[in-house]
Amino acid sequence: MRNVISLARREILAYFGSPVAYIAIAVFLLLLGVVFFFRIPFLLPKEDFFEAREATLRPLFEWMVFLFTIILPAISMRLLAEERKLGTLELLLTLPLTETEVVVGKFLGALGFLGVAAALTLPYPLLVLALGSPDPGPLVGGYFGVLLVGAAYLAVGLLTSAWTQSQITAFLTAIALCAALTFVDRLPEAVGLPALEAARMMSFHHHFQSIARGVLDTRDLVFFLSVVVGALALAGHSLESRKWK
Amino acid sequence: MIEIRNLVKDYGPIRALNGVSFTVEKGEVVGFLGPNGAGKTTCMKILTGFIAASSGTVTVAGMDVVTHGLEVRRRIGYLPENAPLYTDMTPREYLSFLGSIRGISHQELPDRIQRVALRVGIVPVMDQEIGTLSKGYRQRVGLAQAMIHDPDILVLDEPTSGLDPNQIVEIREVIRDLGQDRTVILSTHNLPEVTATCNRIVLIHKGQVRADGTPDAITARHGGGNTYRLEIQVPEGSPDPRLALGSHPEVAEVTPLEVPGATGRVFRVAAKGEEDLRPSLFRWSVEAGWTLLESRRERLDLEAIFQRLTLS
Repeated sequence: MRNVISLARREILAYFGSPVAYIAIAVFLLLLGVVFFFRIPFLLPKEDFFEAREATLRPLFEWMVFLFTIILPAISMRLLAEERKLGTLELLLTLPLTETEVVVGKFLGALGFLGVAAALTLPYPLLVLALGSPDPGPLVGGYFGVLLVGAAYLAVGLLTSAWTQSQITAFLTAIALCAALTFVDRLPEAVGLPALEAARMMSFHHHFQSIARGVLDTRDLVFFLSVVVGALALAGHSLESRKWK
Repeated sequence: MIEIRNLVKDYGPIRALNGVSFTVEKGEVVGFLGPNGAGKTTCMKILTGFIAASSGTVTVAGMDVVTHGLEVRRRIGYLPENAPLYTDMTPREYLSFLGSIRGISHQELPDRIQRVALRVGIVPVMDQEIGTLSKGYRQRVGLAQAMIHDPDILVLDEPTSGLDPNQIVEIREVIRDLGQDRTVILSTHNLPEVTATCNRIVLIHKGQVRADGTPDAITARHGGGNTYRLEIQVPEGSPDPRLALGSHPEVAEVTPLEVPGATGRVFRVAAKGEEDLRPSLFRWSVEAGWTLLESRRERLDLEAIFQRLTLS
């Protein structure tokens, strides 16, 4: 456990010891501010469209999820790909550490970044709450959902970072995977109802919405936790597979 | 301390190691020698648990590197080839990060870091970013990292590659110093390094051990030792000494050598056996009526042995 914390600490220090974290957070907050205050509507499903025009927090969180599909892969891309490139992976994996500890430590470090980024968005919804609609339910639900989706993105990003030594490849693959897994619920109706239903069950966005609505369903929680655990397990396995190449 | 048995490693269709076996005793400094691509690095990667062998076993202090990986890795300090380091950290941060992963307590850590820094000579650069350090200093930071937990065994993959001659001498001194109280395996294709730092050599070529022993034992065993150089003054009118030498029962072959400026005629004589032929060659010359000006048993030096064993 101490190993994992040492690893996570090193990742957080690496993020905030270089401009990467600050730039990513600045861009994120700026874009979020623009789309939020200019009330650029998010591509919501039809039934949500009218709701979106009200003074609600929903678009804020929807936009956060959307921006995270780009920002978080940029954060996770270096986690293992950089180690591979520098050759330090060999050092790391010949320390008395298991692959699982390495992967979990790295993931927690990235989660630290997510925590900071999410916390810094707090002024936006607080401002909205101060101006009216004082229901804190959607606020809590929204953040909870955003953090879960973010954690899932980081886990997927960590997985793609374990596959390659090229950060840009890890980045683009993660964006593609995250976007696909998120918006798979927007398949055209032509694919047929069973396919649509199946797609919804797999969609990050679908599960996020149900959490953001303020209904905490264990199924949604279990879904995101499974994605995180699954992606981390695959990443650990991918690290281990080096042994037999 | 380390026992390597029948190690085989295939990278796809390429066999990098083909039945490597040797053991290393506690306190030995072993030079792992061989041309590039001989399998040195592969062997070290298996020893440190970074990759798995296709077959064969490696045990460290009686523990298998695969089934007891964590315990084995606790006892080993490893400097991979090219000393990979986190360039964004300072040596102090780096060593404290690795020290904490190695399970050194926070109270003990600063003291421990100071001690290894002194030993490898990186005290002046401890708070400078690693990315800005010279190759020599980086190599030392890598060494410091390998010994932060005071391991029984140090595995160093080409610790002096890419260094200038002064740095090489300095790093060698550090290694020799370290080797006094622990087991060291270092790989190199640099021969002076081996004679300067190691008390044992394992030479591998094409994934197989070609020679194993102290530098002296290897020179004796593979350095020929059974050819002689004779310079003889032959009186006018006597028969060709080649024939007479060739009729000696222990002589396998006689080759005349063209040596400019030699007083007598010079021959290289190859013996059949290993025993020293000089006394008998001396008597043989006297009986034939020659004057023996020089008789020298020829040995190849390590460099020539290296070439002989790896160029075939």
